[in-house]
Amino acid sequence: MVASFRKLACATALASLAMTSLAAAADIKLGIVAPMTGQLASEGQDLENAVKMAIDAANANGGVNGDKITTVTADDACDPQQGVTAASKLVSEGVTAVLGGYCSGAVLPTLKIYGDAGIPFVIISANSTKLVDSNPGNAFMTNSTGDMQAVTAVGLFKKNGYKKIAIIDEGDAYSSDLAKLTAEAFPKEGGEVVDKETTTAGEQDYSAVVTKVKSSGADAVFWTAYHAGGALLTKQLRQAGFQGGIVLGDGNNSPEYLQIAGSAGEGVYLLSPPTVDLLSGAADFKEKYKAAYGRDAGAYAALSHDAGNLILDAIGRAKSTDAKAIIEALAASDYKGLAGEIRFTDKHTLQTSNFRPVVAKDGKWVAAE
Amino acid sequence: MTFDLVVQQLANGLIVGSFYALIALGYSMVFGVIKLLNFAHGDIYMTGAFVGLVVFSAVGVWLGNGWLAVVCALLASMLVVGLLGVIIERFAYRPVRNAPRLSILITALGASMVLNGGALALTGGRHFAFNTDLGYSGIDISAVHITYTQMILVASALILMGGMQTFISRTMYGKAMRAVSIDMGASRLMGIDVDRVIALTFFMGSALAAGGGVMAGAYYGSVHFFMGFIMGLKAFTAAVIGGIGSVPGAMLGGLLLGLLESFGSSLPFVGSEWRDVFVFGALILFLVFKPTGILGRSVVERV
Repeated sequence: MVASFRKLACATALASLAMTSLAAAADIKLGIVAPMTGQLASEGQDLENAVKMAIDAANANGGVNGDKITTVTADDACDPQQGVTAASKLVSEGVTAVLGGYCSGAVLPTLKIYGDAGIPFVIISANSTKLVDSNPGNAFMTNSTGDMQAVTAVGLFKKNGYKKIAIIDEGDAYSSDLAKLTAEAFPKEGGEVVDKETTTAGEQDYSAVVTKVKSSGADAVFWTAYHAGGALLTKQLRQAGFQGGIVLGDGNNSPEYLQIAGSAGEGVYLLSPPTVDLLSGAADFKEKYKAAYGRDAGAYAALSHDAGNLILDAIGRAKSTDAKAIIEALAASDYKGLAGEIRFTDKHTLQTSNFRPVVAKDGKWVAAE
Repeated sequence: MTFDLVVQQLANGLIVGSFYALIALGYSMVFGVIKLLNFAHGDIYMTGAFVGLVVFSAVGVWLGNGWLAVVCALLASMLVVGLLGVIIERFAYRPVRNAPRLSILITALGASMVLNGGALALTGGRHFAFNTDLGYSGIDISAVHITYTQMILVASALILMGGMQTFISRTMYGKAMRAVSIDMGASRLMGIDVDRVIALTFFMGSALAAGGGVMAGAYYGSVHFFMGFIMGLKAFTAAVIGGIGSVPGAMLGGLLLGLLESFGSSLPFVGSEWRDVFVFGALILFLVFKPTGILGRSVVERV
């Protein structure tokens, strides 16, 4: 028994040695940072899968500039403290560039870490405007920012004839930012924000908030946080007999929202990021993703995949792994991906908004008229 | 505050409070018997919800998605998760029962992480829909709509808790439980099988948490591996407010906490973001000024 354990230990040691030497043969190491545990672990998994798909495809075609690419994933758990730990880990691993970032709150304190290390950082879906303001110059955002979303939201309210809005957020950087921007923008267009509420993430019961919203006389509710709370809130609003409109921020674009909200979700509006189902050229990607990972591609899979290809494109154009050269190449990007064109402003945000309003109809998101 | 608002928040508070009470009861029972803050209790609630969802989906094929399937899921989950509680006690708590208090507290944290991490690994962090067709029909009190589901929910929670209280105060096993909670050593000398009584306590406490989990899953319509975290904290708070170790105290604490939350967040000039400030502020006030809670007795620390 003891002998067989020794053999096993030897074999494991040899195997890990072999793996280390394989990894050492590659020249470009990319860091992926996403929530792999916690509330949003599923979204983080999606982000990692989609980025890896782009990298695997590039490796199969001989890599970039003849170099193979490897990845190392760090878990930020959507938590500012864990985000800092994850960022330090990636920097000490000596990665060439970092991709990822789902929650703005967890990304914000890491900007300085990557900035000091001079590592190019492609922020995939986190889109708080605070990230724009504290960008040291090495970060690029591939998702439209909160202020663009607020403009899209106000446009939708006006078109649907909503005059009084109740805005509900979850108190984190992303959702409170969007709530604030919308609350500032709507009165300028003649609307009124009659109620502003904040809930706790992970909470199941929203009845107290629902009661307040109902008694505020709002025509519509704007939920700026994520799908888990969004689905529960939608159900509880309808259960309490709220008849007005419900509009959701882009964090709600998950198949789980429609499954959980069920019939209560019908007619709900969503400011959607470019998801695979809404993109004409993404059918092939969608199938390949499902075949590779055994699950449906999530809301940001197409954008994550684009970000993976974007960084490879930039490294290819920079013709080196020098951080400064890659940052310059990223700034000059003119990349056409699944989710649309990626060209950056001088603040390293997207030139064109990629949000589009959609509405739930028969359990599916369809483009809003 | 208008009359409607008061009635509505009263209903809201009672509903969420009955969940807190169910979970707090298990916390309190375990603390009463072995003086352990069972940190895994919130995760047991979550596990109960998942087991309930599995059973619900399985029997739903024959029974539909109505009350019958929910009751099946409730009973099956209470049984399975009750046994899980016994297993956790046997392997994580019993070996360190006589070790310093800190050891058992740490194994409790470990048990919590095993359940939480295990659920994350098995479910991939996804939110699962628990779609029942219980419907939204109910009665209207002026502008307030209260569904039959909500009434049945509160009633079932009260029945479960009442049953538990009767069991503890009227049966031989209940008497043994109370004896063990007062003095474990003396109980053993009196011929009480202490291990068995503790196992039974864990079974009942875990079964109640599982019952709460299935009810919450069916009511809110969603199940997630993280759902036990906040519930665990709030139930702990409820147990402390009511008097930890006291069964009627846990019920009272749960209902009070629910009401405090719903009314606290609709006070004028105070937003809903203050809800948790009320809850955990109450916890701190009680711990500082009345650590034995409303109905608890003072416990002499045994060395």
